[in-house]
Parts: sequence; structure tokens; C-alpha cells
Amino acid sequence: MPEHLLASLLIALIGGIVDLDSTATWQFMISQPIVAAPLTGLFLGNLYGEAAAGLKLGLMVGVILQLVWIEQLPLGMNVPPDAALASVLSVALGFISGHSYESYSEREVCYTVALLLAVALGLLGRSLDMFVRRLNTSLDTWVSQKVEDNNLWAIAVGHTLGGFFTFTKAFIFCFLVVWLGIEPLKYFTQTLSFKHGSGFIVVQGLLPAVGFAVLASMVLKDREETRYFIGAIVIFTLLPAKIFLAFIAAGIVMYRNHKGAKK
Amino acid sequence: MRTLPRTLLARIAFRSFFLQASWNYRGMMSMGFLYAIRPGIDQLHSPGPAREAAYLRHLEYFNTNPYFSSVVMGVTLALEERLSRGEIGEDVIHDTKEGLMTACAAIGDGLFWDSWRPFVATVALVFALGNYLLTPLIFLAIYNLPHLYFRFAGIFWGYREGTHVIRSLRQFQFPQIRQTLRLGTMVLLAYLIPNHVNVHTPFLLTNLPLEYFYFGEKVVQGFGALLLVTLGTYAYRARVDVLLISFLLMIFALVLYHWGILI
Repeated sequence: MPEHLLASLLIALIGGIVDLDSTATWQFMISQPIVAAPLTGLFLGNLYGEAAAGLKLGLMVGVILQLVWIEQLPLGMNVPPDAALASVLSVALGFISGHSYESYSEREVCYTVALLLAVALGLLGRSLDMFVRRLNTSLDTWVSQKVEDNNLWAIAVGHTLGGFFTFTKAFIFCFLVVWLGIEPLKYFTQTLSFKHGSGFIVVQGLLPAVGFAVLASMVLKDREETRYFIGAIVIFTLLPAKIFLAFIAAGIVMYRNHKGAKK
Repeated sequence: MRTLPRTLLARIAFRSFFLQASWNYRGMMSMGFLYAIRPGIDQLHSPGPAREAAYLRHLEYFNTNPYFSSVVMGVTLALEERLSRGEIGEDVIHDTKEGLMTACAAIGDGLFWDSWRPFVATVALVFALGNYLLTPLIFLAIYNLPHLYFRFAGIFWGYREGTHVIRSLRQFQFPQIRQTLRLGTMVLLAYLIPNHVNVHTPFLLTNLPLEYFYFGEKVVQGFGALLLVTLGTYAYRARVDVLLISFLLMIFALVLYHWGILI
């Protein structure tokens, strides 16, 4: 366990910073899985001398978690699952437990199991987020009382404490999960037979379909659009998989819509 | 006659990055709002009851879209300035702030959370699934252009135009922008579905001549992905939880793998 101490501290620090971005401060969206997961993979991979492998794992995790939680919006009182912490922990657990394995298949199994586990941790992260918000509510009452008593310093102190709570929550949560979770995860993946293990690679390949379905539900408004959408899928199935084709097609559709709206 | 210097307004816009550090269930962003505009309040009201009353006034409930918060801050400071000259009463500030925060929440949430973020995330997914390692930087660069624009320009508009700022915001034609972004997202999604859901079956290898294999593989992958996404969309629209859909997909994939239908 002690050999993971440095990695656990690094992940806790990344988790704390990334979680601050998700709601409390900045909101540059480094907390989005597509950024948070590769960032974690890069730093962690660097620590183990495998930066490229870490970054690639981060991208894979980032894509899936971004898709799964793409419709989760931080509107009003709604507290979405903590996608930032789930991303950081998924990469951390998968990379640290999987990097010592020689075979591709075993590593991939570790990555997939860590990913599924991290989704559950994202839900737990939401509960912790709500706990911090309740703490902040007491803080708000305290600050109001202090300001009424003309203790104006309380505004900055109370506000800073709120950010501190968020960082500390994420730091401790990430540290404990990584420090205590690596060995049980390794043990669990070792108990899976190779046949089952390869099945997890198939699961990993299919998982983006769920996110695509969520995104499709968000963007498709009526039957006519759905027909065009299916037509576009058929065309892209037959065309070579070139990114520039997707961007050209999107650009044309957006330009035509913009021009049509102006008329 | 405006009294707040541009540097001070820029400083307030910078402080608005920390708006939600103490987000809570009572005042929501109230502490963050007061923390951000405090330098302006201190400049406009001399120490004493007037300043203290201003502090207490802004510790009342406040909630809006964080990226548009600086617009509300600018308008609030313009009104505080008029209050300090005795031109308006406190209730004008209260009512205007309440109306404006609701309008900015509606505009900002619709634009950023519902349209811009899914669009930029989809752009990033296209790059990520094409194995572009710089994807996180691309995401951050694109996403933050309008974020930083509204964050910094918003406070100047608000302060300069006061309650007329809504007229300026209307010029952006946000509903049309949202529609254009939605269609762009749809096209990119139509590219992603057939190319990045991995549906592979061993039957093609055994039954198709090699010259047709790659085309057959692409067609099976494209239509298999379309089928999965269609089922996922129906399930999601029937309010089945995303995590349950993912779990069912996992079971489905493992069973088909076990039977040798998927590899």
C-alpha cells in the first residue's frame, strides 16, 4: 500500500483542483471528463514513466464519461453526479492497477472495471457535494450575522472557507479511494478469467452507444429531423471515416441554418 | 457621470470567477456575488450605515448563470451608483437584480449548458475518438472563447447600459444560435455513431471473401451501432436511467460475447 502513497497524493491534488472548477470556481471546464481524465492520465503516466499510455487511457475514459453524463446540467438546485471526480478516479484506479500487467487484455480489463466503479463513485461524489453545500448554508447564516454586527471581514473568510470545503472534500475522497482501492481492484481483476476479461473489452467498445443515445435524445426534436439524422448516419457509414468530412458537413448545415434564419 | 474606473470593473469580473465558491441552499450565490462586487461597493459608498446596508442588501438570495453573472454585477453597480447620488431607492436595485438574474439564468443556461457545451464536447469527441492527443486543449480553447467574452465584456455592458442591457443581449439572437449549434451537434453525432461504436462479429471473417471484408465490417458496425443507439434513445426517452441502460448493455454484450456472436 505505501508504494501508492505518492500517486494517491498526486491524484488527491488533481481531484481537488479539478473539483473546484466543476462549480465552485473558474468553470473553465477542466472538470469536464474530456479534459479531466486525459489531464490525470498525463500526470499519472509521467509519474510512472508512461506519459503517452496515461494520456491515451485518459482520452478513452474521458470520451465515455463525457458521453454518459453529457445531459447532466448544474441548473439551480440540481446537483449532477460528480463527473470530474469520477474521471480522475477512473483513470487513477485503472492506470495504477493495470500498468503492472504485461498483457493488453488484462490491462484493458482493469481499465473497464475501474471505469464502471468510477461511475458509482461519481454518484457518491454527488452526495458529498450536497453535504458541502449544506455546510455552506450554515456558513451563509454565520456570515449574515457577522455582517449585521458590522464584522465585514466575515464575507471574504466565509466565501473562502466555502471553496476550501470543496477542495478538501475532493482531496480526502480521492486520496482514500486511490490509496485503499488499488489492491482490492487488482485482486478482483485477477479473479476474472481471461474469457470473461475479453468480454469486458467488447463492453468498452459498445459503451459509447449509450452516450450517443443520450446525445441523440437531446438534439433530435421531431420526426423529420430524425429521418435526416438516420440518412446522415447511413451516408457516414458508407463514406470513409475522415474527420474533415464530419466538420465540412456540420459547417454546411450550420451555415445554411444561420443564413436561413437571417432571411 | 460614471465613477468606477475600468480597471476596477475588470477586477470585479475577475472576482466573479469565484462566484460559486460558497454556493449554498439559502442564499445560493449571494456570498459570492457580494464578494465579487465588494470593491465597487466600497468605492461607491463611504464607510458607515450606507455601506453596511449595501452589504446586507446583496447577501439576499442570488442565483444566475455564472458566465452571465458579470452582466448583473455591472447593472447592480450602475444602480448602486445612482442610489449613492440619491436618484433611486433600494427597492429598484432589489427588483432589477431579481428580474435580471432570472433573465440571465435563462439565456445563459440555455446557451452554455444546453447548447454550447454539448456542441463543443461533440467536437472534442470527434477529435478524441480520432486519437488526437491535444483534444483537451482544443476543447478548452473553443469552449472558453465565449465564456471569457461574456465574463469580461458583460460587466462593462451592464455598468454602461444599466437596465437597458437586456436590449443589447437581445441583439445576439440566442435562440437562433442555439438552433444552429444543435444542428451542428446532430451532424457530428451522425458521424460518430457508425464510426465509433465497435460492433464486431466473427461471422464476416468466415463468410465473406477478403476483398469485401472491410466494407462488410463497416456496414455491420454502422447498422449495429444505429440499432443500439436507437434502442438506447427509446429507453432514455422512456426515462430509464443512463446507468441502468449502461448496465443492461454490459450484460447484453457479455452474453453475446459468450455465445460467440460478438468479438
